[in-house]
Amino acid sequence: MTSNTDDVLSRRKFLIASSAVGVAGLAGCTENNSGGSEGGDSGGSEGGDSDSSGDGSEELSGAIDIAGSSTVFPLATAMAERFQKENSGVNINIQSTGSGGGFANYFCPGDTDFNNASRPIKGEEEDQCANNDITPVELKVATDALTVIVNNDNDFIGEGLTVEQLQTIFSAEEAPTTWSDVNSEWPDEEIEIFGPTDASGTYDYFIEAIIGEEGPGHRQDYSATEQDRTIVQGVEGSEYAIGYLGFAYYSENTDSVQAVPVENDEGNYVEPSLDTALSGEYNPLSRPLFTYPAQESLAEEHVATFARYWMENSTSKEIVADEVGYVPLGDDEQQEMLDKLNAAIEEAN
Amino acid sequence: MATQSDTDQIQGFGQVSRTTGVIFRYLLMGATMFGIVTLAILLVYVANDAIQPLTADAGWYLVFFVTFVAPTTLVGAYLYRTNVDALKLGLLVVGMLAVTLMFSGGVAIVFVDIVPPLVSLSYAIGLLVPFAAVVLMTKYEDAIPFTARVAATGAIFFLSLFGIPGYYHSIPEMVQKIPVVPTEWVIITLVFGGVVAVVVGQYFARIRENTRAGVVAGVAALAATGAAAVSGMFTGVNPTALAVVAAGAFVPTAAYAGGAALTREEERIGLLLAAVVIGGSLVGAGIVDVLGFAGPQSWVDWQFLTSSHSGTAENAGLYPAIGGSILLMVTVAALSFPLGVGAAVYLEEYAPDNVFTRFIDVNISNLAGVPSVVYGLLGLGVFVTYLGQPTGTVLIGGATLALLILPIVIISSREAIRSVPQDMRQASYGMGATRWQTVKNVVLPEAFPGILTGTILALGRAIGETAPLIMIGAPNVLFNLPTELSSKVSAMPLQVYAWSSLFASEDFYTKAVPAGVVVLLAVLLAMNSVAIVLRNKFESES
Repeated sequence: MTSNTDDVLSRRKFLIASSAVGVAGLAGCTENNSGGSEGGDSGGSEGGDSDSSGDGSEELSGAIDIAGSSTVFPLATAMAERFQKENSGVNINIQSTGSGGGFANYFCPGDTDFNNASRPIKGEEEDQCANNDITPVELKVATDALTVIVNNDNDFIGEGLTVEQLQTIFSAEEAPTTWSDVNSEWPDEEIEIFGPTDASGTYDYFIEAIIGEEGPGHRQDYSATEQDRTIVQGVEGSEYAIGYLGFAYYSENTDSVQAVPVENDEGNYVEPSLDTALSGEYNPLSRPLFTYPAQESLAEEHVATFARYWMENSTSKEIVADEVGYVPLGDDEQQEMLDKLNAAIEEAN
Repeated sequence: MATQSDTDQIQGFGQVSRTTGVIFRYLLMGATMFGIVTLAILLVYVANDAIQPLTADAGWYLVFFVTFVAPTTLVGAYLYRTNVDALKLGLLVVGMLAVTLMFSGGVAIVFVDIVPPLVSLSYAIGLLVPFAAVVLMTKYEDAIPFTARVAATGAIFFLSLFGIPGYYHSIPEMVQKIPVVPTEWVIITLVFGGVVAVVVGQYFARIRENTRAGVVAGVAALAATGAAAVSGMFTGVNPTALAVVAAGAFVPTAAYAGGAALTREEERIGLLLAAVVIGGSLVGAGIVDVLGFAGPQSWVDWQFLTSSHSGTAENAGLYPAIGGSILLMVTVAALSFPLGVGAAVYLEEYAPDNVFTRFIDVNISNLAGVPSVVYGLLGLGVFVTYLGQPTGTVLIGGATLALLILPIVIISSREAIRSVPQDMRQASYGMGATRWQTVKNVVLPEAFPGILTGTILALGRAIGETAPLIMIGAPNVLFNLPTELSSKVSAMPLQVYAWSSLFASEDFYTKAVPAGVVVLLAVLLAMNSVAIVLRNKFESES
């Protein structure tokens, strides 16, 4: 190809292209309003099903980073999914890291806006946050019934387990290797133990409620995982296995494993359920779940709006109980949390 | 000693039984088949879960058998018996349509939801203006000293892309501030469709040896793109996406098929196969729709591809993860390609053969085998902990994955460069070319297809990596597409992992996870097929 024909070609093309631009310029121009708002209006213009957000209010935008407890993760995801539908400009991302892992590696260094926790924040974590000028605001979001599970074929535990038996099984003090070490009537088979890792708030709460903060602590020769599904699968696969996790994961798998009734302070064996957790009958393993927004992040409107949205829906039976499987807050608790949140938002601004 | 063993062999010769050899042979065959069969069973199982072929009506199968399967088989069998090259052409056109549809769908995601067309246009202009200036400058190469040219090039690009903050706007900023602009689909049609039209036009001008034919073809291509976009306004499909898909998939495939019809008279009958496949599936879909037969209740459906995560497996989708994977791959390619090819050129063309280069050689080969989780840890340590970047962003994820595939890119690029015949280099030197001119004009153009193939295969590895993304703290659940390099990113394998481990309900395990796996594998196969076609094409040419 000679450069001559090339030139002719491109000149003609140029003429054609420029005339096309001219025509299109007349036909298809629009007012440019994307200069200021970083193209925020490009996305959700089609699919006219999501016009539920208030017309008068300005559309929220920005990112919300959430990490922390795997127990609270499904609840946070359910809330975020609904919030997202009404506020498509807000970009929420959620990571399951365990309560402690989230505080130490993400929240206190200032990487995330919320940290979910299945136990209250610890003193050293508060110190770490304070060093980075992060102020956690404690908000209770639900009540969980920490659930001990065994294999469906397990019939020897009978009525249930006592707190002492659980302590024997999980404590590092005796660290029994067979079931008969715990109770001589039980089979002489090895105990297979599954549970969350020490980054998990479930682990911390189990120590607090069953094993005790003092003493030898939780045994370490067990299969530890931050994926609750793995705990269910492990227990499902072995007749002599035992494990513990949040109620939500058990409630999704009631056919695969059975929950162990635990003896409460009145001496009754109580099965974990939303009702028994709410009434307080299921103790000592029912526990509050939290999320900790950083007060500094609450200064941003989209973060504050999401926190309010979560608290406003924390009494919703449909989301918290039916979809996720935890006990919703009562109206009084909700009001208390909303007041606390509003005070924090005011202080942040 | 040698004679000793020789007699041993001779003595033993009479006792060799054929059975041993036969058993050995079938053992080897078993070893070959073991992995493939196991994987095939797994894939069939997963695909069955994801697509659920048994849930479709019998009528649905009947319709598609009559309109699609039977004609395709007949035409295919006929071509296979009479003209295998034509069959290949037909298959290539069908494959090209499928693969380009997939990739242009990805590009459409980028333009519709990640980078608005106006912004891309502004940057395209911002790059084009200084590029034109540089081309102009090379015309007066002799008048301007080399260092001045280098400095001017740098300055022009910088001024155009970044401006002088406070005094002078960069070109992208200026373009974005124009008060009246074309609508998004017009921009896409003109820019994206325009580029494709120029390529198509030049292709036809070349094969017809006629400039006029090229112009006609180019204008037709542009018109087709525009028509597709306009049709979107009447059917309710996003016109921007339609323009991208038309310019990226329909127009190139049609141009290739048309070009083949004009030039390859022996094989043009193969296009019949493509026509039967495409026509048959369209007609089948139309009839099924009219008669109301239900197709399989596949979990891989439009809803799955276009919605984000949900608490229920039925409504969960892969869209943010698909967009995240695309952005990650763009970042990875932009980082690893220049670095990898640069290193390969240095090592093959410039580096002296001494202890130091051999040391580097051995290290690169070893780095290619380092487990991905180690690279994840490296990314976490270097980018997040040491450089203090936020966790889980597009940039960090892309940089970590780029590090992961860098050794593979270097090794495959070196192979490609090494396969350029030494004679060609010698000829270039013989004509008085410098080493730089030889690399630029002879080695790189000759090695380019091989380099591209290697890079695509390496990207295929990067797109399937999960462990490094987990290590750098990419989020498990994300509802929007990332819009900039510093936003959090998810990826397809990571989303599949999150569904399989964090969501306890059986639904996620049996519906969302297989569907995600099928999509991931489809993308991977498409990438690999592009690499294979490229390799075969250039191997047969050279």
